[in-house]
Formats: sequence, C-alpha cells, structure tokens
Amino acid sequence: MPPSIKTLLIVDDSRVSRMLIRAFVLASRPQWIIIEAASGAEALEVVGENRVDFCTMDINMPGMLGTDAAEQMISRHPKIRIAIFSGNIQDCQQSRAAALGAVFVAKPVTAKSVAQALEHFESIE
Amino acid sequence: MPPLIIKPDKQALPNDTIWQAIWDNVNLGLILVDQTGRVRQWNDWVAKRSGIPAKSAEGHTLESLFQDELNPPFKSALKNSLTHRLPVVLSNALHRSPLPLFPWPVTERQQTRIQQSIAITPLTGGADEHFCLIQITDTSISIKRERVLKLHSEQLSIDANTDALTGAHNRRYFDERYKIEFNRAQRQGTPLSLLMLDIDFFKDYNDNYGHPAGDKVLIAVVAAIKSQLNRATDVVTRYGGEEFAVILPDCEAPENHAMAEKLRRAVSNLNIPHCKSKITGTVTLSIGITTLECDAKCSADRLLETADTALYEAKHAGRNRVNYLGAAE
Amino acid sequence: MKTLSELHLDALTEVFNIGAGRAASSLSEIVGEEVKLSVPRLQLVQPADINMQTLALNSPRLGAVKQQFSGPFDADAMLLFTEERALEIVRDMMGSHISIEELAEYEQDAMCELGNIILNACLSAMADILKISFQSSLPRYVVDSSDVILRQIIKDTNLSIMLALHIDLTIEKHHTQGNLVFLLNSTSLQELIAHIDHFISGI
Repeated sequence: MPPSIKTLLIVDDSRVSRMLIRAFVLASRPQWIIIEAASGAEALEVVGENRVDFCTMDINMPGMLGTDAAEQMISRHPKIRIAIFSGNIQDCQQSRAAALGAVFVAKPVTAKSVAQALEHFESIE
Repeated sequence: MPPLIIKPDKQALPNDTIWQAIWDNVNLGLILVDQTGRVRQWNDWVAKRSGIPAKSAEGHTLESLFQDELNPPFKSALKNSLTHRLPVVLSNALHRSPLPLFPWPVTERQQTRIQQSIAITPLTGGADEHFCLIQITDTSISIKRERVLKLHSEQLSIDANTDALTGAHNRRYFDERYKIEFNRAQRQGTPLSLLMLDIDFFKDYNDNYGHPAGDKVLIAVVAAIKSQLNRATDVVTRYGGEEFAVILPDCEAPENHAMAEKLRRAVSNLNIPHCKSKITGTVTLSIGITTLECDAKCSADRLLETADTALYEAKHAGRNRVNYLGAAE
Repeated sequence: MKTLSELHLDALTEVFNIGAGRAASSLSEIVGEEVKLSVPRLQLVQPADINMQTLALNSPRLGAVKQQFSGPFDADAMLLFTEERALEIVRDMMGSHISIEELAEYEQDAMCELGNIILNACLSAMADILKISFQSSLPRYVVDSSDVILRQIIKDTNLSIMLALHIDLTIEKHHTQGNLVFLLNSTSLQELIAHIDHFISGI
C-alpha cells in the first residue's frame, strides 16, 4: 500500500456530521479510505479489526463518551492520531483532549475545522 | 352648513439638532458601535458616568477605552452580538456592574460602580453597514427601592403580629404559630407544652389605679415573662385582655412545671402593689399548664381547652399558683 | 407538503447540540465553572398533541423565555422550565449566598439572560451551519400557570409544527431539565426544510 493511502475512522452519532467530515476530507485526500462508526463502542471494535491511522471523535454520543473511547483507543493503539470534534468548547474538554495527545477541534464541521484536524494528523510524519 | 374640519399642518420631523438633543437627554446610557467594535458615538449620560467625553471615545474600541475594567462576559456578549447579529441582554442579577461607570454628579464619597442592566441590539444602517446599540440602565435606584419595599413589608408583617401595647405577639400570631407548632410536634413525635397565664384580680387593679396604671402592669408582666424565657423557639403572646399564652416546643411535663413556677415567681418578685388583691398585696399570676406527650392522640383544640381548664382550676384553688392538667385523649 | 425526514432531524439535532455547546461555554464564563448542556432529544409535535406530557413538564406553573425571530423563515422560540426549576437555576448561577426572597426579585432578570444565551446560541449555530441569518426580538420572561402558557403556544392557528428539544442542564452538580420549543407555521416549515435540503445536498 503506498504511504499516501491512509485510513481514517470517523466517529460521530450524527450521520450528517459523518457525511460532512467525509466530504471535506475526500475533497483534499481523495485516495484515503474512510470508515464510519456511530458510537464509542463501535469505534473500538473497528480499530480492533482494521488498521486505522487517524480518527475524528465526537464527544457527546449515546453510551460511551468520545473522550473515554479515545483514551481506550490510544492505550491499545498508541499510533492512532486523534482529533476530538465537539460543540462543547469549555476549557476542561480542551485540556482533556490535550492530555490524550489529541487535538481539539470546535464544531461545526467546516472546511476550516477539518483542515485543522488534517494538519494534526500529518504534522510530525 | 358643512361641518368645519380643521386639519393641522403636517408636523415636520425633528431635525438632526433635535435628534442629538434627544440622544443626549435620555436618562439611559447609549453607545453605538460599528461592526468592527469601534465606538461611533456615545451620549452625554455615558460621557458623564465614564468621565470620557464622546469626542475622545469615537473611533476606539471599548476594550481600548476601558482596558481590564470590562468584565469578560460583557466582551463575549458584544462579540456575539456583532458576529451573529442577535440581541443580547446582560442582567444586573448575574453581572452587577459590567462597565466602569460611576454615579453622577460626582460626590466626595468613595465611588462604586453603578449597578447596570444592559441590552445590546443589532441595527442595520442601510447598505452593508451594521451597528450595535448598547443600552445601559442604572438599576442602583430600583435595587434600593426594592430593598426599602422589602424592609417595609417586613415591618408590616411584624406590626400585624405584635400587640402594640406590650410588644408581645398578638392573638392572631398565636393562632397561626400554635397550629404550626402543634402539627410539628405531632409529626416529629416531640412533646409540646402550653401555658395559659392570667393576672389575678386585674379588673380590680384597673378600677382602683386606673387604666394607664393597668397598662403599665401589662407591660411589666410581659417583660418579666420574656426575661425568663431563653430559647428562641419559646413564644409569648397576649391572648386576651390580661391573659397570656406561652408555647414551649420540645418541652416535657417536669420542665414546663419548673418554667411555669419561674414565671409565677418573676411576676410576684416585681412587687407591684395591688391593694385590692384578695390574696397578697401585690400583682400575681395564676398559671394553667398542659403538655402534649409524644405519643398522645389529642387535637389542638382539646389541648388548648385543657390548658384553659388548668388555669380555671388554679384560680379556684386560690390563685397565685401553677396548676398542671394532663392532656386527655 | 414536505415534512422533516430522519436525515433532516439528524442535521437539526447536530445544529442544536453545537448551539448547546456554545451556550454552555458562555454560561460557564458567568458561573466560573463547568456547565453541562446537552440536547439529547428532538421531537416533532403536531399542534393537536401539544400538552404538558409531550413537554415533559409537570408543574402547575411554568417560566418561559420567549424570543421571536425572523429571517429566511420565522419562528417563535421559547425556553420552558417549571417555576421551581427556574428558581433553582437562578440560585445556582448567582451563588448560594442569596436568600430565597432575593432570588424571586432577580428571577425575571436572570432568566431573561439565561434564555437569551441558550436561544441565541441555538439560532446562531443554525445560521452558521445553514448559512443564513436571523433577526430577533429581545427576550421576554413570563411566569404563569401552565394552562396559560400552553394556550399561548397553540393560539396561533397557523401553527404547523412544534420542534421540542429536551434540554439537560447541569450547573454546580445540579441537574435540571427544561424544554426548548420552536413554533413554526407551514410556510416557515417548508422554508426550513428547503434550507436543510440545500445544506445536505451541498455535502
């Protein structure tokens, strides 16, 4: 697999948000493979079965909180780079994301917020 | 003849000078900021209370004019209103004094900020020009007024529950309070003692010494009773003419006996001469007591009747004494 | 006549959750600690079905903050709490040193501001996402018997639908529930649907 082909997991309970993130990502990274999950539990299942490079994670979802799912994901697969997408922009949420080594991106999903996530994904490499 | 119709001339709209005068004369702070957040104009009201003339404010942002003196929620509110073009309110309840504005005219006293209530409304000035109008109301006065009204209503409720002559609670207060205490005692299973007190041969005292002297006795007796009660929950009320009722919550039979005896002695120790008393030469009290025991099934009315009967018996047994009667089921 | 589909509702729920996030952030700036605000459920209610049960507010008296907004479509927006809850929220926001009597004095003022923050945040999120803009009246707060408030909601004979959002608000560990309702007539509903369609088709 050529190195430029990456796999992105989009975790969000809102179908519209998943559609938006997928559309903005594919607009600039058309070769990427995209997998979607609608909950934290589903996301953990996906990373158990697939090789995933990057992940966008919503916080407020039914069942497990996105930040908790991200924490488990990182402990099992430390190489996955995560962007936390949330409408909740209070400091405590942002510092939680930072503690996980993830980047915090404020919703709504726009070309600009997705670009912020992409920048984080591709930074150090 | 057709009816005479007088049509007034069409009134001219106020000109700019008049608008400027209105702007500067309203009793309200007005600040007009443009979409970049710069002050376009503010009125006299704001100039006087901020100490910054309108001319010096024009073209500057509020942040540069007031620096750290602005509170952060105000900054966010203005930013939100400018960005989303929606009206925003800042209540006095949650912010007190968001802007550094001080009472005017200035006094010698140390200045504290005016209490404010703020509304920010977006305005569109035709074309693509947008503005926000910030309206500031001084709520210091209405807050003061509310406080005064509250004090007044507290005073009124004290007046409505107090016997004007003796300062003891009145009958109306007793009726309410007794019901509350009785229900509480029953609910919580705690004892409740009730004392009925009556000044011996008071009618004869009045007839002999006159009503003004009689009033003085009533005042002295209440003071003596109050001086013996030391719990905030104990209640002294003037039940009728020379009759008083004392409610002692959470008080059992032996204690209330001791308390009643203390009250009787306190009044007798006043040594107020009463030459028409048929038992001693001084003013004395007869006291009837009863207690609602923890597990008793007695009604409030029944308990009150029992205390009254106890008092009646004390009178019959020779006055200047305490008589206890158990509450019958 | 078109009605809102699952996908429309999903988009709206996302819009309101972003609005709730913005409102929580403004509120936390005022109270100085974390405020949790979420909109877990969005419900469409036909005028005939509007009652206390659908609003999940069981109290003889309600407090309502109202704003009317207009733009590509018009709506009356209302934030509803039971009266006791409204007082509790005001106490949490002002700090517990305040007495109950004083609270009642400030209720009007503080509830207007709270409602204004939540309603504006939801409107501005909708405006940003659907790329439209609204004008709005200043907020008004009324406390009245539940019947009177309900009657005001359904008095508009043109009322086509009510969007009811159940709100979970947590301030200082106190959990409160309320309702945010948007009242739309049929023209406005069609406009709203058209704007969401436009937004989704642009993805």
